Amino acid sequence: MSTRTNTLNTNLGFGQTDWVSSRTLGLILFAGLLMISMALASTSFLTGETFFSQSRYVAFYVLVAMSQAVCLAVGDLNLTVGAIGSIITVSLGMAIAPEYAALSPWIGVPLVFLIGPLTGLINGLIITRFKIDAFIVTLSMMFVYMGLRSGISGGNSYRVPESFWWLGQGGAFGIPFMVLIVLFVLWGISFLYRNTVLGRRLLATGSNSDAARLSGINTDRMIVVAHVISGGFSALAAIMWASWSGNAAPQTGDDWLIISFAVAIIGGTGLSGSLISPVGILVGAVIFKLIQHALVILKINDNYSNTLLGGLILLAIVVDRAREHFGKEGK
Amino acid sequence: MTRNNKFLILTLLGLFLVLAGIKWSQSGSEGTAIDPIVLYLPLPHPYCNAVGEGGKAYQESTGTGVRVLVGQESTQANVNTNVESMYTLGHQGFAIYPVDPAGSKGLFARLRDGGRHVVAYGAEPMEGSAATFAVATNTRSAATQATEQLIQLMGGQGKILNVLESLTDANTPIRKAAIEEVVAKYPKVEIIQTVGDVTTEAKAREKIESALVARGDEVDGIICTGYTTTVAASVLLSERNAKAGAKRIRFVGLDTDERVLEAIRLGHVDATLAQNPFGHGYISCALLDRLLNGWEPVESYQFIDSGAVVVTRENVDDFQPGIESMTKRIVSEMEGKYLVKR
Repeated sequence: MSTRTNTLNTNLGFGQTDWVSSRTLGLILFAGLLMISMALASTSFLTGETFFSQSRYVAFYVLVAMSQAVCLAVGDLNLTVGAIGSIITVSLGMAIAPEYAALSPWIGVPLVFLIGPLTGLINGLIITRFKIDAFIVTLSMMFVYMGLRSGISGGNSYRVPESFWWLGQGGAFGIPFMVLIVLFVLWGISFLYRNTVLGRRLLATGSNSDAARLSGINTDRMIVVAHVISGGFSALAAIMWASWSGNAAPQTGDDWLIISFAVAIIGGTGLSGSLISPVGILVGAVIFKLIQHALVILKINDNYSNTLLGGLILLAIVVDRAREHFGKEGK
Repeated sequence: MTRNNKFLILTLLGLFLVLAGIKWSQSGSEGTAIDPIVLYLPLPHPYCNAVGEGGKAYQESTGTGVRVLVGQESTQANVNTNVESMYTLGHQGFAIYPVDPAGSKGLFARLRDGGRHVVAYGAEPMEGSAATFAVATNTRSAATQATEQLIQLMGGQGKILNVLESLTDANTPIRKAAIEEVVAKYPKVEIIQTVGDVTTEAKAREKIESALVARGDEVDGIICTGYTTTVAASVLLSERNAKAGAKRIRFVGLDTDERVLEAIRLGHVDATLAQNPFGHGYISCALLDRLLNGWEPVESYQFIDSGAVVVTRENVDDFQPGIESMTKRIVSEMEGKYLVKR
């Protein structure tokens, strides 16, 4: 027991002394410049109202992006992030809506949350046991979950009791509860990847699966773990959204896929695995929201807003590739 | 302390100081003038475009500023994120299509709690919402009218293919229920199949074609209660009904895309129900303008039927003035009938 503890202690931190990477620093600088530009463009930007309203979206985007990022970090991807969100939403509605099971949110919400990791477990097991590409498995499962949500709900929304609205709509000291919870979750995930053996194994799997396996890491298990965590994030995002919007709408999750990739990539998650930065994702979410907010404030032709967002994601990938390219040349 | 950590502290400190300086410099200024009314359109779509035209026309005719904002997707999440951005800018009146009637409730409540006025258009929000008005086609009545028209065209007997649009659209369940209710009144009429969960024209075309391939000989009439499904069915039926010797399938749709009107003109399809999207935009802005200028609603929530007209070969070229007159009539009656000055 004491030997194991000593081993873990020597591994804690894994020699990392920087609080954030150079890449994340660059993102923070970019987000800062965006904030300054918007503060200059609109007198209503630097207000408590804007902070309260917009920070909840940032928190929500972080959860959605994390559900993708944890899979990207092991070299996989997950196309079911939104579909799992919709299944969770429908399940939540059936569990706590007064017209259905009418369970207390204190009982119904934890029960429903478990469906998220469970769906992730199913995804992960199919991918690893049958050796099928994650793209194919999650694409298929996306249709399975989306069909289930439409079939079960018939397209109708479920009423979320007002006793559950506090989570998404309330706050303390001017900070939404959603933000506080997401900051806590980010701290936890940051600790996982920076300070635990499991986290390093997850990253090693994404860095070079063969090398990781040869060094004794059960890479299949790591992939399953990543999908389970991903399902957990999707579930948390869906629950937060239902509480925030005051209802459980089956179409929840329909637009999550683009958000999950966009925020994760802008936040510096490596598309080829091994790189994940929870702080980067938080800043990525801030940038994503700031740009959306800017499109509205600056009256940019709304019809082109997706083009701008797509362009930004592409730019983030190009910058990432350029950094990798010049980094290698430097070596 | 590493170089990165020092740089991080300096960046955050610098950002804080710059933002604090901007805030301090803005504290005395009044800010830029903004349009009092926001007309929010969920996505680029012919219906939404027509609603937007109504908002722009209101601005031109009255001089009241109307910001027409188009969203990227017809989801409640997208509506919320865009509308809340507008809210933080200080706009005072919001005309919003309740993409999800229940989901809109939370957003409307937040706007009301922030001292804003909300008018729903295009569909009714869930009961108890903070919207004081809903300006829309009476969905149930329109679907009932369309079904009655179709059954009349079928001679009071036969089998109907019921084509619904997006399952998550607020109006779809209402339309479905209304159609089934009318059909239940006619013992010789039955719904042979219902297809739905359609969001694009291509998907609609695929689903209707599949149903016709499978049951074409049995189908006597098709009813479509969505824009995309109506266009797809009109194009398909124009091909099918134009063929010599083919069984004539009767059709009633919704909305007035030019392809649908042309198919009616040529006699390939029978009828469509014209809504009043221009009025949805214009009337909503007129209501908000008055609410912002001291008028108060007669009741806490009122539904304003913006009207619908059945378009057939007989009136296909002269139905528009009838719809426009409805908008004028509603606006002229607004003060007194729906609003009072206390």
